[in-house]
Amino acid sequence: MPTVVQAENLRKEFGNVRALDGVSFRVDGGEWIAIMGPSGSGKTTLINILGGLDTPTAGQAIVDGTDVARLDEAGLTRFRAVKIGFIFQQFHLVPYLTAVENVMLAQYFHSTTDEKEAQQALERVGLGDRIEHLPTQLSGGEQQRVAVARALINHPKLILADEPTGNLDEANEEIVLGLLRELHSEGHTILMVTHAATIGRLADRRIEFAHGHLVQAAATSLKPELA
Amino acid sequence: MFWRLVFQLLRRSRGRFAVAIFAIVSGATVISALLNLDLGVQNKLTQEFRTLGANIVISPPDVQQSVDGGSAAPVLFNEDVLQIGIESVPEANVVASAPYLYIVAKAAQKPVVMVGTLMGELRKFEPTWQLDGRWISSSDDMAGCLVGRNVARQFHLKPDSSLRLTYADRTAELTVSGVVSAGGPDDNQIFVNLPVAQRLAAIDGISVWQISAGGSSKVVAGYLARLTVALPQYQVRPIRQVAEAEGALLGRIRLLIVSMVLLILVLTALCVLGTMAALAMERRKLVGLMKSLGGSISRIVGIFLAEVGVLGAAGGLVGAILGSALSYWMGLRVFGTAIAPRWEVFPVTIVLMVLVTLTGAIPLRLLGNVKPADILRGE
Repeated sequence: MPTVVQAENLRKEFGNVRALDGVSFRVDGGEWIAIMGPSGSGKTTLINILGGLDTPTAGQAIVDGTDVARLDEAGLTRFRAVKIGFIFQQFHLVPYLTAVENVMLAQYFHSTTDEKEAQQALERVGLGDRIEHLPTQLSGGEQQRVAVARALINHPKLILADEPTGNLDEANEEIVLGLLRELHSEGHTILMVTHAATIGRLADRRIEFAHGHLVQAAATSLKPELA
Repeated sequence: MFWRLVFQLLRRSRGRFAVAIFAIVSGATVISALLNLDLGVQNKLTQEFRTLGANIVISPPDVQQSVDGGSAAPVLFNEDVLQIGIESVPEANVVASAPYLYIVAKAAQKPVVMVGTLMGELRKFEPTWQLDGRWISSSDDMAGCLVGRNVARQFHLKPDSSLRLTYADRTAELTVSGVVSAGGPDDNQIFVNLPVAQRLAAIDGISVWQISAGGSSKVVAGYLARLTVALPQYQVRPIRQVAEAEGALLGRIRLLIVSMVLLILVLTALCVLGTMAALAMERRKLVGLMKSLGGSISRIVGIFLAEVGVLGAAGGLVGAILGSALSYWMGLRVFGTAIAPRWEVFPVTIVLMVLVTLTGAIPLRLLGNVKPADILRGE
């Protein structure tokens, strides 16, 4: 499988704080990677840089052939719309819009909207009967499933999930993880930040961070290139 | 999806917009009422001024006519020739047009000004005169006369009284049809059909021709200019006091209305500005999320501007309707007749309110600085 993510000596500084310090690794297409580590270790910073939400202080972050570090504001905006599907711990749905409209919003910023396709995406995550519900009318698990449908709707090259089950109870956690497993089996490339070792073990590989460094890689296929 | 987003945001945020909506509708109502008044008041005021009598007088060259004084004109001219000339300049806004002959006749050996004119037209010239008795409605009535209040008092006249007027060695026996109260020099005059005065004075001519032209000052000035060109052998003049008073009053009213409209626009913009500043802060999270989904700031702000524009247009429309009703009511209260809504006020009010709300949306510029990573981190 071709390489989808290639990080080369990535560094990110916030003032005097070095959130990422020389991080290098590679992810092939179709892999499910768990990024683990304690709070403040740089996991979310890495996800933000790979997703084009932030830019590195130094180094390269190449996603599907695009060096995110070299993109301007407009380029980053387009990059996010076309290549990335985000799943956030806090769901981050637009409270004014219904479930289907939240999914269509991603379509709108990508290209054109297709309500039928958005409905099918919701049916796929088991929310066919919640299409016209507002986020406030949905449970946490249902909201996260809407976020999953939204992340998938534009067929992104990379799904970035930041603690996708962090706000869910056990039952809903299982549903969302089931969806991620399904996406993985369909060949999607997933980078998932998690604290939970049990969830991390579901991934093909685990990358562990501490103080902005990549400290450990687990699973046989992992080929970390420590700086 | 664009309009779906716009209307969903509007629907769910209407509570936040309450103050701005109130300001827009109130502003639009007052602006619409003022614009309706501005357009309607010209006609109403012109009508009011027309009740003051003629505003154009045509006389022979070099004659300084004292119309209200009623002194006899030293130079007379033939009304038939002049009438042809006047009728060659058509003007739809002419309220009344008539020849006048002023002579000083005698009643009981005392001089009194006698005015010969078309009595039917005189009624249109002077609609505000109070009348005790009957008007002389027929131009063939050669025996009836109207007398001014002072004349009636001086000669102890009342409706149906007889009045003998003499001029040189000729006499006219008249019956008083009515006594008029004009509140001015007209109270000292006697009014008859033109042939009665011409016969008594043995004059085949008139002193002046007077016209009461309606419409705006511009319309009257245009008519005056055309008459001047068409009647080069006569003096065509405006009656200055009426024309100037009309022009000055209209000018002041317009200045007042324009000033008030500007003030209201500024106040509305400030009110919208306050709401938008609060909304911009409130929507930082939404903007961060939209940016993370690949929304460009121009596209995102475009949605918000459309939202504000719809708000301005809807508020402008509602305000225009309410303002028309308000101006209708004000017309009834101030002028005694309704000021009909003017269709052109609707688009003007709506466009003004859209512009003012878009101006008030300047704080949305701040959203350009929103960093999605910061927002999603919860900062």
